[in-house]
Amino acid sequence: MTRELLTGNGAAAWGARLAHADYVPAFPITPQTEIIETLAGWFDSGEMPGRLVTLESEHSMITAAGAAAATGVRVFTATSSQGLLYGMEMIYAVAGWRAPFVMVNVSRGLATPITLESDHSDVLAARDSGFLQIHCATCQEVLDSILMAYRLAEDTRTRLPVIVNLDGFYLSFTREPVEIPDPDSVREFLPPHDPQNARFRASAPASQGVAVLGGSPYSYFRYEAHLAALRSIDVYGEVAAEFEAAFGRRHDAIDAYRCDDAEIVFVMIGSFATKAKAAVDQLRDAGFAVGLVRLRLVRPFPVEDLRRVVAGKRGIAVIDQNLSMGKGGVLHAEVASTLYGRPDAPPILMSFIGGLGGRDISPEELYEIAAETRKAAEDGRTPPPRLLYTRDELREIRKLQVIAEVERNELEPGQ
Amino acid sequence: MVTASRVLGSAFFLSGFEVQDAPRYGAERRGAPTFAYVRASRTPIRERGVIRHPDLVIIGDDSLPAVPVAGVMEGVSAHTATLIHTRETAEAWKHRLNLAGPVMTLPTSEEVADDTDLPFVGCVSAGAAARLVGVISREALVKAVDKEIAPFGQAAVRENERRALQAYERMAAHAGTVTEGVEIAAAGYDAPEWIQVPFEEARISAPAIHAAATSVQVKTGAWRTMRPVVDDTRCNQCWWICSTFCPDSAITVSAESRPEIDYDHCKGCMICVAICPSHAIDAVREQEAQTKEPEGP
Amino acid sequence: MNDTAFKRMKDLPSTHLLGTGTPMCAGCGGLSALHEIYDVLGPKTVFVNAAGCMTLLSVYPFTPFRGSWLYTSMASAPAGAQGVRDALDILLEQGRMPPEEDLDVVTLTGDGAAYGMGLSSTSSAIERGLDFLYICYDNEGYGNTGHQASGATPHAAKTTTSQGPGGFRGYKKDLFSIWAAHEPAYVATVIGSEPLDLARKIEKAKSLKGPRLILALAPCPTGWEYEPADSIDIGRLAVKTGVWPLKEYVDGQVVHTVVPSPRLPVEAYFEKQGRFAHLFDPDRDDELLADLQARVDRYWAAL
Repeated sequence: MTRELLTGNGAAAWGARLAHADYVPAFPITPQTEIIETLAGWFDSGEMPGRLVTLESEHSMITAAGAAAATGVRVFTATSSQGLLYGMEMIYAVAGWRAPFVMVNVSRGLATPITLESDHSDVLAARDSGFLQIHCATCQEVLDSILMAYRLAEDTRTRLPVIVNLDGFYLSFTREPVEIPDPDSVREFLPPHDPQNARFRASAPASQGVAVLGGSPYSYFRYEAHLAALRSIDVYGEVAAEFEAAFGRRHDAIDAYRCDDAEIVFVMIGSFATKAKAAVDQLRDAGFAVGLVRLRLVRPFPVEDLRRVVAGKRGIAVIDQNLSMGKGGVLHAEVASTLYGRPDAPPILMSFIGGLGGRDISPEELYEIAAETRKAAEDGRTPPPRLLYTRDELREIRKLQVIAEVERNELEPGQ
Repeated sequence: MVTASRVLGSAFFLSGFEVQDAPRYGAERRGAPTFAYVRASRTPIRERGVIRHPDLVIIGDDSLPAVPVAGVMEGVSAHTATLIHTRETAEAWKHRLNLAGPVMTLPTSEEVADDTDLPFVGCVSAGAAARLVGVISREALVKAVDKEIAPFGQAAVRENERRALQAYERMAAHAGTVTEGVEIAAAGYDAPEWIQVPFEEARISAPAIHAAATSVQVKTGAWRTMRPVVDDTRCNQCWWICSTFCPDSAITVSAESRPEIDYDHCKGCMICVAICPSHAIDAVREQEAQTKEPEGP
Repeated sequence: MNDTAFKRMKDLPSTHLLGTGTPMCAGCGGLSALHEIYDVLGPKTVFVNAAGCMTLLSVYPFTPFRGSWLYTSMASAPAGAQGVRDALDILLEQGRMPPEEDLDVVTLTGDGAAYGMGLSSTSSAIERGLDFLYICYDNEGYGNTGHQASGATPHAAKTTTSQGPGGFRGYKKDLFSIWAAHEPAYVATVIGSEPLDLARKIEKAKSLKGPRLILALAPCPTGWEYEPADSIDIGRLAVKTGVWPLKEYVDGQVVHTVVPSPRLPVEAYFEKQGRFAHLFDPDRDDELLADLQARVDRYWAAL
C-alpha cells in the first residue's frame, strides 16, 4: 500500500487495474480521456494483461462492453456527458442483459450550450436505465468505489452494471492524496470474475438479449431487474462493511455529517459536498445546528437511510447540480417522493439549483442557503426553488450579449 | 505552470501536508495563458475549484497582468504575496498593480531568446514558492523535482533541480512570508447578491450570435512573446505569401503592396518569419518591441 | 473449385441445421440464404444481431439457433461482435477457456443497418481487423417496419416512403465496393437461389481470418409484392438479368463467380414484382426502363 498524489482520473485507472479489468473498450472524451490513456499505457507495457480497444463511438463502446461482459470477462470503460448520451440506447440495453461491468462517468454539463465543466445532468440522465450509481466526493473514493462496484455488480443477487461517477475538473484533473491498496489485499476482497451463466461457449449454446413480445413477459424481465436494483442496497451494505474491514475506510450509502443534532441539513451529491462540510463546520461555529447528507448511492436510492437521517429535522435544503427542464432539481424530486406522507418528515424541503457547467457554489452561498432554510422553517412555508445566480453574473452575460449583438427592445434598469 | 503546481504540490506532500493541485484549462491552445493552483493544509482539504483568496500568486509571464481575461490579479488582497518573473523591480510592480501585500521578483533568464522556450519557469517558481511558504525543506523540494521531471529524462531532472534550488536560495530573505489564510466565517459574511433569473424570450436567450466576425474583439495579440516585424526594404512584394499563410488572417497587404501586420491579433507563431522567401521579416522580442512602440501600428 | 466440398448440387446437405418455427414471412428470401449459410457455418457460432426482420428469429423463449445469439442494437452489431471476439480471445489467451469452447463470431444484419446507421461500426470493425463474419440479408428496404426506403433501395422501386410516380428517386448504394475499399479479408455477394455458389463462398469465408463480409440479396414477398412461391424464381432472374452480380473480393481482386450469358433484359425481373408495377401499369415507362437497363448494361460493359 502506497500513498500518492493522484488525479481522479489516475485513481480511476488504478481502480480498474487493481480490479484486474480484462477488457477496456474505449472512446476518448473530455474530461475522462486521461483514464483510458493511462490504462492503454499499462496494457501496452504489459503491466496489465488483457486489452484496450478503441471503438468509433460511445454507442459502440458500450455495446462492446456489454457484449464482452456477456461473454464472461471483467470489463471496464469510461465516458462523460455527450458520450454517455450518445450511448444511451445501449446503456438501457446492456443493463437488461444482466451482464455486470463497471463504467466510470466523469460528469460534465450537457449541451446546449456545449461545455466542458462539471455538473450532474449527464449521469442523472442514466438513472432510469438499470445501471446502479455510486457518486464520489474525493479521489480516494474513486479508487475505492471501483473496487466496491465490481463486488456489487457481480454479486449473484445483483448482476447489473454500475456507474461510478466523479466530477470533471474538480476531481478528474485535481490531484489529491490517495492510498493505493496492495494487489493481494484487493484480490482477497475482489476475487476473479465469475461469469455465472452469462457467457458464450460452444458446449453451452445461449441466446442473450433476445426479443420479447407481450406485455406480461416483458414486464417480468423489467420488474426483476428493478427488484435486483432495489435489493442491491443490502448487497452494498455488506460490501461496504467488508471494504472497511479490509482497508479501513467506510463508504456508506449515505455520508451523514453532523446530522444527529442538526435542525437543518444540506442534501447533495459529488465533490462539492466537501465544501458543504467546511460550511457546516463554520455554521456550527456561528451557532447554527446544520448538518450535511451526501448520497453516495443514487441508484438504488437509499430510501430507508435517508428517511432515518432526516427524521424530525426542521428543514432540508436540497442542492441540485443538475436541471430537469420544466421541472427543476432531480434530487429534490426524489427526496420529496421518498419523504412524502411520513409523519417525521421535515416540514420544509427547499430546492436550490446551482453549480451547472462547473459554476462554483461559494461558502457565502452555502451560508445563505442555510439562512434561507432557517427562515423558511420559522415562517412555516417553503419558498419556490431558487436558481443560484448573482447580480454580477447577470451583468456579465449582458456584456457578452452586447458583443453577440443580441437584439434587445430596451435594457432594464440596473443592467 | 502546470509543472510548477505539480512540483510544489509534491513538495508539500512530501513534507507531510494534505495537498490538492490542479491545472486550470481555459483556452488550452499553444501560446494562450494557462494557470494552475495548489492548496496545502495539515488537515484534509475540503475546498474545491479555483482559489478565490490566494495566499501566494506566482506570475510566470509578466505581460499577463495587462491582459484582463487572464484574471491574474483576481482575489488578490493585502494578505496575498505576489511573486513575478520579471526584469523590473518589485517596487515598480507594487506600484503598478497597487499591491498591498509583499511583492518578490525572480529575474527572467537573459540567455533565452523567446520567453515561451523557458522550460524551467515551472521548477524555478516551485523552488521559490517552497522557500516563501517556509515549511518545505531543500530535500523535499529536490525529491519533488525528481518525481515530476523524471519522465523528461535525467539531464532535465538535474538542470531543473539546480535551478529550483537556486530560486529557493534567492528567496532566503523572504522565507515564511507566505502564511495561511483563514476560511470565511458563517457570521458576518458578505451575502451573495442573488437575483431571480429574469425570463427572456428565446430570440434573446438562445445561445446564438447574430453578427459576423465578433472574434475580432478578442485581442489574441496578448499571447505574443515574439513579434514579427516587416523590413520594407527587404520585402519583395511577392504574391503575398505571408498574408496567405498567416493562419489567423493577421496580415493584410495594402494597396501599395506592403504587408501590414495586425498586432492586436498576431499570436507570434512566426510562420511568416519562417516562410518569407526574402527573409524580410524579423523576430523581435515582444517586450523590446513594446518599448519601441511609437513605430508600431 | 478444386478444394471445395461443394462441387455439385448433391454435395449440399439434405437436412438442415437452422431450426424451423421462426416467425419470418413465408417465402422469405433472407431466411432462404440464412439457412443455407448456417448449414456451412455450423453451430459453433455466436450470431450478433442488429435490429431488423431477423431480430425476431429469437423471441423469448424460442430460438432456431443450435449455437449462440446476442441481440445488440440497430447501429452497433459489429461493435458487439468486437466485444464478444475480444472476450473470447482474452479467455483463450489466459487459459480460462479450453480452445474447443471457442466460437466463430458472426454479425447478422439487414440492409437498413448495413447500408445506413451500421456503416460506421462496420467500417471501424474492418479497420480494426476484427476476425468475424458479417452477413447482410438485403431486402432493399427497412423491412421490419413495413418496407420504407433504405440506403439499399434500388432506383424506381416503390416503398412506403417513395410512393410517387417513378418510385424511389435515389440509387442503391454500392456497399460491396465500400466494404472492399477497406481491403478486408473477403467480400462476396450471394443469393439463396444459387445455393452452390453460396456454399462455396461461405466455405471460403470460413477458411479465412479477419473481416469477411457477405451481402445476400433477399427477395422479399411482403415488401416487393409478389407471391411467396416466386422467391427462388425472382432470385434467379436477379442473377440472369445481371441486376445482382455474383462476385467476390479476395486478395485485392474482384472476381465474378457467375457471368450471365446471355443476359436477360431487366424487365423480366421487374415485371414479376409489385414494387415495380408502375413501370408497366397503366402505361409502360419506357424512359425509366431504358435508364434502368442502361445502368445494368454499363456495369457489365465495364468488366
